[in-house]
Amino acid sequence: MHPGLILIIGALLVPLFKGKWRKAYLIIPPLAALIDVILMYTGVFGEIPFSAWHLPFLDYELVFGRVDKLSFLFALAFTLASVPVMIYSLHVKSSTEHMSQLVYAGSALGIVFAGDLISLYFFWEIMSIASLLVIWHGATDKAHSAGLRYIMWHVAGGITLLAGIVMYIAATGTIAFNAIGWGSGSTLLPSLLIFIGFILNAGVPPLHAWLPDAYPESTVTGSVYLSIFTTKSAVYVLARSFAGFGPLMWLGAIMVVYPIFYAVLENNLRRVLSYSLINQVGFMLCGIGMGIPLSLNGATAHAFAHIIYKSLLFMSVGSVIYRTGTAKITELGGLYKSMPLTTVFCLVGAASISAFPLFSGFTTKAMIVQASALGGLAIIYVLLQLASAGVFEHAGIKVPFFTFFGHDSGLRVKDPPLNMLLGMGIMAFLCIFIGLYPYPLYQLLPYPVVFEAYTAPHVIETLQLLLFASFAFFLLIKSGIYPPERNTISLDTDWPLRLAGGKFIWFVKGPLTSFSTWMDSHVKRIAADFTAYGEEKEERVFIGVSVMLALLFLAFYLIVQLAYGWIFTS
Amino acid sequence: MDIMLAVLAIVGIVGYVFLFLGTAEPRHRHGNLFLAIVASTLIVMVIAGLFIQWPIEFAWQKVTAFYAIFGFCAFTFLIYAAKGLRLWLSKDEDYYKKKGV
Repeated sequence: MHPGLILIIGALLVPLFKGKWRKAYLIIPPLAALIDVILMYTGVFGEIPFSAWHLPFLDYELVFGRVDKLSFLFALAFTLASVPVMIYSLHVKSSTEHMSQLVYAGSALGIVFAGDLISLYFFWEIMSIASLLVIWHGATDKAHSAGLRYIMWHVAGGITLLAGIVMYIAATGTIAFNAIGWGSGSTLLPSLLIFIGFILNAGVPPLHAWLPDAYPESTVTGSVYLSIFTTKSAVYVLARSFAGFGPLMWLGAIMVVYPIFYAVLENNLRRVLSYSLINQVGFMLCGIGMGIPLSLNGATAHAFAHIIYKSLLFMSVGSVIYRTGTAKITELGGLYKSMPLTTVFCLVGAASISAFPLFSGFTTKAMIVQASALGGLAIIYVLLQLASAGVFEHAGIKVPFFTFFGHDSGLRVKDPPLNMLLGMGIMAFLCIFIGLYPYPLYQLLPYPVVFEAYTAPHVIETLQLLLFASFAFFLLIKSGIYPPERNTISLDTDWPLRLAGGKFIWFVKGPLTSFSTWMDSHVKRIAADFTAYGEEKEERVFIGVSVMLALLFLAFYLIVQLAYGWIFTS
Repeated sequence: MDIMLAVLAIVGIVGYVFLFLGTAEPRHRHGNLFLAIVASTLIVMVIAGLFIQWPIEFAWQKVTAFYAIFGFCAFTFLIYAAKGLRLWLSKDEDYYKKKGV
């Protein structure tokens, strides 16, 4: 059975269970999906031949289950992460929140296994709606408006993708979802549209503003789900269809650097992590764009490791929000004494994302950096290393330091409930496991791996870079140069859109409404005149009105005639 | 060799965690000791770098302790750049609300 379907049907059954039974039940769908994925073997399953149903309109064959090494790895990462995330969110009482999260996870699996563009689009849109519901469960005004902006971005992306898909199918005659690349002639525009649709979901600047806008506004558990699926399913589709696409490499290189500055400035921990998420996806896209086996292996392995450590970071920050009610750095600090376990889990996530040796990021990111060195891509190499220092700054130092150490805020809150600790514990274990023993993961990668992470130069290079970066942090913070946290937001690429949107709403509410009120009153007056006429009070109807009406009808008739003639003769 | 690398990695993690403990405020009573440990991990990394054969993919990798210098400079650059951008990008939390958006 399709693992995505297990999650979606599982979601529909959630309201049937109450209390303790619900907690017991909730763990079943993700666990069943994980077992389902593990037991899978490669091949193509779940074809639905519309032709056999004699539907000439859709003379195609949909493929819901294309299982190969690439789709298997992403499906495994999604389902493997879903289990601890579900354990982490067991305390949540809202059944609709669980349902939307499970459907969201299920639709991501649908994308990963889609073998054709139509079923891909189908799950793509389910994912948009499900993730919107996950955001709206934040149930604040901010969450509501951020969700609206989020869905506007994704509807725009979805329509672009749909237009691209339709044109692509028309141009090539096939709906199969395989390598697309840079088209030529009649496939140039469709491939470009599909590319834009994909990179919008991956969060490539300047199409990324929805991500740091909406992700921090969801619930504690919702943010964890959001951090996993949308961007990584986009990484998957890009790896499938645009591997070795040069512009993608450069977009990835911009993407690793651009969000760093925002992450340094942000005051909201979840927003810092959102920018850091964009930065990490940049590494993956850069690897996909390079298109050599080592970099593609690196991109997929890094996506796998990233899903684990990023959700761990969102979980630990979520635990802090759960206990303190705030994610603002200006209000936090010194929590390590009262939240020791959360601190340790956050540090494991931070060390993993910073690619410290013995942690997961080290064994995966290195492949991408190494690929750029082997390819002699000096600028890309320097940008990736610069970004490594940047990741360390915001995710490795800023998040754990200002939350758990830094300046003592006086807050003395306990570690979160057992289920949340257990969820984080499993994720932390996976981070360390992939760091210490990456070979099972390497075996699952799309190409044979000839790569060893633990070489003396690589270990020492990484440690020198990270430790001296932290030395710079120490000097900067002690000398007061490090920018002090302030309660601010940072303007991003959605700034012109949001201002223009605001102006549009002002226009609708202000001038347009006054105009329509004015029109209404006049129409009413004219209507009153007609009524008067109907009531045989002819003296109130001027002859002019009748003549004007006759002229208007005549003019209308002429316009219709002319337009009709013009359309059907040209 | 593998054991040496594992030891180095653990030394690195120790340096990372102790930096936090030593820099946190109010100061820990062993704060200076923690920072001394951090300083020694830095020295260990530079010394370790002297004894290995570095691959030369790019010319700059010939520089002694290149990655230490790079890490330090990259970090400092990022912070200064972000400080500069703050003047331009950072707005009050209710910026959009005030704009009526």
